[in-house]
Amino acid sequence: MLKPSLEDLIKSALRSILKNKGRTILTSLGIIIGVTSVILLTSIGTGLQSYINDQFDKLGSNLVYVAPGKIFNESGGFASGEQSFTNFFKQSDIRKLQRGLGDLAIVFPANESTLKIKFGKKEELTSIVGTTPEWAIYRNSTPPEGQGSFFTKEDVSKQNKVAVLGFSIADKLFGTRNPIGKEVTIDGKNFKVIGVVDKKGGTMGGPDIDAYVYIPSSTFKDITGKDDIMSFSIKVNNADNIEAVKRQTKRILLEDYDKDAFTVFDSSQLLSSINSIIGILTVGLTGIAAISLVVGGIGIMNIMLVTVSERTREIGLRKAIGAYPRAILLQFLIEAIILSCFGGIIGITFGFLGSLAINTFFPAKVTLNSVLLAFGVSSAVGVIFGVMPARRASKLSPIEALRYE
Amino acid sequence: MIKSLSKPNKAPVVLQLKDIVKTYNSGNVQFNALDGVNLSIHKGEFVSITGPSGSGKSTLMHIIGLLDIPTSGQVLLEGKDISHFKEHQLAQIRNVTLGFVFQQFNLLPKTSALENAILPLLYSDVPASQRHQKGIEMLTKVGLESKLKNTPAQLSGGQQQRVAIARALINDPKIILADEPTGNLDSKSGRDVMDFFHQLHQKEGRTIIFVTHDRELANEADRIVIIKDGKIEIETKK
Repeated sequence: MLKPSLEDLIKSALRSILKNKGRTILTSLGIIIGVTSVILLTSIGTGLQSYINDQFDKLGSNLVYVAPGKIFNESGGFASGEQSFTNFFKQSDIRKLQRGLGDLAIVFPANESTLKIKFGKKEELTSIVGTTPEWAIYRNSTPPEGQGSFFTKEDVSKQNKVAVLGFSIADKLFGTRNPIGKEVTIDGKNFKVIGVVDKKGGTMGGPDIDAYVYIPSSTFKDITGKDDIMSFSIKVNNADNIEAVKRQTKRILLEDYDKDAFTVFDSSQLLSSINSIIGILTVGLTGIAAISLVVGGIGIMNIMLVTVSERTREIGLRKAIGAYPRAILLQFLIEAIILSCFGGIIGITFGFLGSLAINTFFPAKVTLNSVLLAFGVSSAVGVIFGVMPARRASKLSPIEALRYE
Repeated sequence: MIKSLSKPNKAPVVLQLKDIVKTYNSGNVQFNALDGVNLSIHKGEFVSITGPSGSGKSTLMHIIGLLDIPTSGQVLLEGKDISHFKEHQLAQIRNVTLGFVFQQFNLLPKTSALENAILPLLYSDVPASQRHQKGIEMLTKVGLESKLKNTPAQLSGGQQQRVAIARALINDPKIILADEPTGNLDSKSGRDVMDFFHQLHQKEGRTIIFVTHDRELANEADRIVIIKDGKIEIETKK
């Protein structure tokens, strides 16, 4: 049987720590700072990741994109070098792809050009997207009730000059007025606003999707004079078919284009690239923060060494009245562990409160894993840096210790 | 050299030292702090150990207190040779067999009288639920039932030494070992402590060994062991 019991050891360690409150807090400060920063940084990392995942969900699921140029390198990261965003694919490619994919998917084009849009005296430079009604359905861009509607197949076939505005561009041009039914000028030509898309939030670093203005693809061709298509979106009927559709799409396009001239990808691929970048950043930053945990551990070791020499007489007395060396070792080790766990708990609390505060302006999310990790690391620090002072204490001779002044 | 002026004691021997030698090395010089000490302590005896400073009485005290092991010779506790016991075994024997009272009291600071008195129980088999009860009992016995929650800083020297005596008694030890127990006390408190030892000896038949440099105090014991230059010179019996 362990004498004293673990319960007794913890109780007496707590008692001696509580007797020196000021010292306890100062000693734990290093651990507190370390754990707080570890929790904060990982919460920002995971918050950012889940924010980006949410954004991708909002853009529409089960989508495969076809874009010009080479976007990804062989290891899944983003390819370096200049990307060409010149219009590239032909109208006939859509028909060919749609024929080739059959019932598996629906192909719809996205042409984009940055043009001036004007209402009254207000003028903005924004992205004009020429597309088909499928965009609204498969990329979650149907205007909500009371905000008009997306254009129809008929608008496309008749080359109607109608426009659907993104949330932020509508706000900039019209303010509080209702844009539906008003006339705007795009590149000098008059368009009738028939709908406003709800706010979707920005894509981190990408173009602001709320600033898009959608017009029928046929009308787009008419005003820009461009007949080729910059990219496609392909809505796949079932998530299980995404890989098959990607393979099929690649095969069809390879008949006409070089393999480095286009990229077929789905959002998960894009997402995993972004996630891996954020992941590396989070681990790197957390690692730097973890250095302060080591510094905190050294602080605890210092104080414990001082404590051992301060309490030499106590150690001698305890040994004289029956404490065997291991009981003394455990006593001081447990004190060190409690000191660092105390720092860990305070640090976790601070980290949690801090991430709540950050969350009001930046995505941050404390995960159970990071809390467990921080707690585990701080108790490990207690063990590692507590052993040396505790061993020193346990090896003191009771006679020498009792004689110590 | 041993002159025994006493008639043989019939009570069983609790502790016996046989040919104890304790050698210290300082540089190249070897020096015997104890040089062939033979001593038997009988159950219920009140023994004082005295001698000038540097005579070896502290070393003898450490050997008797099982805090130190002799260079040669045997220490028999109730007939069992414990000279070669390991440190943790000796710690356990100290815990249940011996009760220490020190000149410096050696109470834990910022810790209540009660917690101080029950400290040895932490290292024994007494369940946590009974400890406080026993502690209160012992502190009542030394007359400190009203000071249970006081810390050493809130107690006088005499009261502190009584807490230390309660601590020494808590495990019902076979031998009480006191090292200059009155050395840090004024004469009145010192007298109280000595009276308390007499009471423990006479009423409860406890075995008490105390070390003092004060011949007058030493004379209060049943038997006086005078040590000089590492040897027991005279044993006298009242």
